[in-house]
Order: sequence, then C-alpha cells, then structure tokens
Amino acid sequence: MRNFAYRKCTTLSEVTGLLGGEGVFLLAGGTDLLVGMRGGKYSPRLILDIKSIPELKVLREDEAGITIGAAVTLNQIERFEPVAKNVPVLAKACHHIGSFSIRNRGTLAGNICNASPAADTAAALYCLGALVNIAGPGGERSLAIEDFFVAPGKTALNKGELVVSVLIPKPYPAGKGIYYKASRTGSVDLATVGVAVQKRDDGIRIAVSAVAPTPVRAKAVEKAVNGGSTDWNAAAALVKDDIIPITDLRGSREYRCHLAEVLVRRGLAEIMEV
Amino acid sequence: MAGNITINFTVNGYKEVRTVNSWLSLLKFIREELKLTGTKEGCEVGECGACMVLLDGEAVNSCVVLAAELDGRDLVTIEGLAKNGELDLIQQAFIDHSAFQCGYCTPGMIMSARALLNRNPSPSDKEINEALSGNLCRCGAYVEIREAVKTCGKKQGRKEEARCP
Repeated sequence: MRNFAYRKCTTLSEVTGLLGGEGVFLLAGGTDLLVGMRGGKYSPRLILDIKSIPELKVLREDEAGITIGAAVTLNQIERFEPVAKNVPVLAKACHHIGSFSIRNRGTLAGNICNASPAADTAAALYCLGALVNIAGPGGERSLAIEDFFVAPGKTALNKGELVVSVLIPKPYPAGKGIYYKASRTGSVDLATVGVAVQKRDDGIRIAVSAVAPTPVRAKAVEKAVNGGSTDWNAAAALVKDDIIPITDLRGSREYRCHLAEVLVRRGLAEIMEV
Repeated sequence: MAGNITINFTVNGYKEVRTVNSWLSLLKFIREELKLTGTKEGCEVGECGACMVLLDGEAVNSCVVLAAELDGRDLVTIEGLAKNGELDLIQQAFIDHSAFQCGYCTPGMIMSARALLNRNPSPSDKEINEALSGNLCRCGAYVEIREAVKTCGKKQGRKEEARCP
C-alpha cells in the first residue's frame, strides 16, 4: 500500500468538505477498501475514517421504519431485533456476506457502495423497497435502492456525496421473505447467483443478483405470479426475460441462467405455499 | 501529511500511547511494533483468520484494520489471555483436545473462540461453525477444534456457576 494520509472525521460536514478531492476514499469497515488497496485496485491519497460520526452510527426503529447508519456493521444489523423480527430477509442477506469476523467490520452501506452486481444485501433491499439517504456538498437527498445501482462498481452518488444511512420503510411486508445464495463453497464466497423473494401486501417481489450489470427485479416472474399463476415452474422460467448474466470464474452464462430459474422456483414454492 | 498519527489504546489491559504511520496495518503494528508475535500473518486479505484479535471484545481480522483505527479502543491478542501464568480455559481445551497440528491457525482460532464463548458459553455445533467461519485450518483439525470449544464452554459454564452461587 502506498503512502496516504489518514483522517478520523467526527462530523458529516467535515467529510463532505473533503470528499470531492482527488484520491479521497471513505473508510468504514475497510474490508473492501484495504483489500482493494493491497491488490492495487485503489490508490488513495487521503482516507477519511467515518466510523466516529454520530449520524452514521444510528441503528434505530421509529415511525418511518428501520434506519441503518453507514457505519453500522453487518453483525449489528443481523442482531438488531426489529430487523430479525420484521425483515428477516435482510438479516439473512447480511449473514451471507463473508465470514463472521468480516461481518464484525463490514457495513451495509459499504456493500451497496461497492456496487457489485453480486452484492448480497442488494436483492433483499430491492424486495424491501429500501431508501438510501445521501449527504453531499449540495445538501441531503434520498434515493430508491433500485436507482442507486448504476453499473458494476458505479452508484448514483455524485462527487463529494456519501451514504449516511439506509431506511427500510414501514409498512414492513406482512408476508414471508427469503434469500438464497448459490456460491462455489458453502460459505465465504461471492454469490454465483443470489435470489431474494418477498411476499408483500401488494404482491410478490423478486430480485436477483450477479446476473446483470446491477442487481435486478425479476419483473416478468412477479407479473405472472401477481396475475394469478400458481405454476411455479412456468413462472420461474420467465426470470430469463430480466437477466443478462456473463460468464466468469464463478459460473458460465448458461449455468447462471439455470441457477436463477431454480432459485426463483424454490423461493416461490417456499414463500407462496405456506 | 502522511504518517505520525498518535493513538491511545489499551493492549491486553495496559494503556499505551504510540505514533504510527497511516498505512501501517494493525497486524504489522501488533507484530513489529508491539512485538506481540503470537498474532500470525496469513493471507493479508481477511480470508484466513490467522491474524484474529479482539477489538472492543469483537473478533476482527487485524490485517484489514489500520493501526490508526486502534485509537480509543481496547485490543486483546493471544498473549493477553493467560492470567498469572495460568492458561485461559480455551487455550487449555485446545491442548487437551489436540486441536491443532502445525499450530499456525491456533492463535486466531482461539481468539474467535474466546469472543464466541464470552457472549455464548454454551454454543451449538452450528454456532461454533459460524463463529469460526473466518478461521481456516490447513491441517484440517476442525473436528477437534469444535470439540475443544464445546467442552470449554461447558467448563466455563460450571466455573461461572461456582462463582455466583
């Protein structure tokens, strides 16, 4: 790792004032940043440690829903009772990231800001209609999670902006939700394909990761099921309408298409037949 | 300017003040500056767990933490477990169960196990597998390691019961 300056920030304005500069990176859990630096992917000039900023440490439930600050770790989220009770699909997705010790450091905001098409939490957040609260030099704004992912490694954040928190809005879905992940090993690997299925008052919602430049909704499947189809085989096959997987070291295009269909079918059977 | 960051922290119960360079990893700091070489260097990318330490009581991979991040925090390394010349229960359990072959992963395994037993003195097999998911053993002593953690939990439970009648 080459030389860089380190600064522990204690206020949001301190961060937004510096973040627009060349080679400025944010450090929360560091589980992607430090690994990326070692591999030569990132060469920061200045690292801003954001873990001590009060707004980013928030983990609370109120009238609006569950607010998860950008510095809250994945294990804290998984253990937070309102998450486990009301949106278990998110607890499950957090649980699928890395190892236990990595989840003691890694954050939800880091997972989405990395903008990996395979981000484990993304599919769950899509199903829950999560909102991303953003702060920047121009003030604050809020964005739907589906508009946050733009391309592999690219988010909708403008220069100088950072994620302050993620909101899981109320009302929570009354129905069941699940997250399935297929990966090369039983644990501690990125998803070859990830699928979240969530039953909601307004119908079923399905999101799939690692099958397109960003996580995507399986809208054709949703439409079929919400239109009354109970043939899960036929409905799951429609997942191909919304995905365009690539071939890489984790799986071929054909294998990913197959996995997506199988996992969606399993999800539908699990969620709908209770 | 890079470098020369002052950090205040406790290590194995002792208060310390040091200056570190911004790019120094916590792992290198522990081994090369604090001279506590029980913490091992393995993959350096947070995958193998040989460098596991407790930061404010939580097991973390010290290779993916900066030394600068130690400021204001409490660090425990493998050297901090034995008290007054007596091994920690989990250390003794690893010996009793021969829960290692080459021993390189052992300090990391023990730190993850200690963190687990501190929050859950009677973990199930599944909970042990989970808590140790970030620790790799290339010799394959996993079965003995799990037994050591389980037995230690039971012993620890008895000891705690004896302490608070």
